[in-house]
Amino acid sequence: MAKRVKAIVKLQIPAGKANPAPPVGPALGQHGVAIMNFVKEYNERTASMTGQIVPVVITIYEDRSFAFVTKTPPAADLLRRAAGIDKGSGTPKRDTKGRITQAQLREIAELKLKDLNAVDLDGATKQIEGTARSMGIEIVA
Amino acid sequence: MAAGWIDLAVPADNEAVEAVAEIFSRHGYGGGVAIEEPFEHEKDGDNLRIAVERPFIVRTYLPNDDTAGEKIEAIERALWHLGQMRYVGALTATPRQEEDWANAWKEHFHVHRVGARTVIRPPWREYARQGDEIVIDLDPGAAFGTGLHPSTQLCLIALEERMRPGMRVLDVGVGSGVLTIAAARHGAASVDALDVEPVAVRVTRENLALNGLLDEPAIPIRVAVGTVERTPEFAGRYDLVVANIIARIIGDLAPALVAACAPGGRLITSGIIVDRADEVHAALAAAGLAAIEQHQMGDWVCVEGLRIAD
Repeated sequence: MAKRVKAIVKLQIPAGKANPAPPVGPALGQHGVAIMNFVKEYNERTASMTGQIVPVVITIYEDRSFAFVTKTPPAADLLRRAAGIDKGSGTPKRDTKGRITQAQLREIAELKLKDLNAVDLDGATKQIEGTARSMGIEIVA
Repeated sequence: MAAGWIDLAVPADNEAVEAVAEIFSRHGYGGGVAIEEPFEHEKDGDNLRIAVERPFIVRTYLPNDDTAGEKIEAIERALWHLGQMRYVGALTATPRQEEDWANAWKEHFHVHRVGARTVIRPPWREYARQGDEIVIDLDPGAAFGTGLHPSTQLCLIALEERMRPGMRVLDVGVGSGVLTIAAARHGAASVDALDVEPVAVRVTRENLALNGLLDEPAIPIRVAVGTVERTPEFAGRYDLVVANIIARIIGDLAPALVAACAPGGRLITSGIIVDRADEVHAALAAAGLAAIEQHQMGDWVCVEGLRIAD
């Protein structure tokens, strides 16, 4: 340890399929991290989750070593699954793409709470609600 | 093949990050998104916090081809809508050359000399050992200890001065294994190494293998996940204990670290930010460490001393 942190970078990339192309290469390359070692570690750790986006937070230390933790799927993925849609809306105010219930919203917020830099469940719920709106997903009672 | 890339970046507040990432993932290469999280170190250098009050930078990359303009417009439109609800800054689009990302990082790692005679060599560099040097082969990566950090260097220098052939050594917080390998090269009879991180244990084994030290019968090296406190079998066994961790943990572990030394054995600790050196010094003295010395490099300190013979 003994590490002063140089940067914290979160990547949202497909499980088991990291490679040195963008975003991994440029995002980590600018910090001089051993990219291939990251790629190997990430793919090994996420191999069983292929097909999902598995976010990863990489802490880069002053000596260019790094540590990473994988996180819960992006809120958008969970919302899409809950609403049964493929992708978000380009023009959310005009174009509603799907609906989820308050209970579903709460459930997603609970799952995401520890990864959201949110103070509490209400804060997390607000964030997820914002993401839902921007995707054109309506919250119904 | 695309003529390079376009790097799209936008600042956004914490509450908008997931939504911006969703928009970027629709158009970005491979659906990939990178988020730079703002953070602050607490003064002691040990802890940090995510600074949620500052903007996060969200990025994605597009191949710089005929479709890029259209994708950027779509992203701008979606960001505008999101910007009605949350803080989202201006989108910047910067062209970037295609680079050999798989190999470019290697330029940051060279053959690196520490102290009087310790040399660290990445596996892809050539170096021939000279005179009484010790050469450590080290693949830099997913565990702390590339040899570039002052705290690692202070420990390597202390090992140069204090190691004698035949010593039994304990390395607490092994990280990349750099100090364990150094101890073995200085003639340790055996090394036991611990880390709380399974990744560190695996990386250490890989680096031991690079150095021909894995399962080498002449120098038994044991590496395990664990902590020195919960492993009473370590008590009183070692001629030299090295712990390059952080001030807070060294303070907490002080009694166990000193107890692991044989009577008259030496403890070397580092990873200590200079502001907390006094506190570590006091904790080690209270745990029975004597003849305490301190060495400094940059903001970092190594505190070492001897366990008083019973």
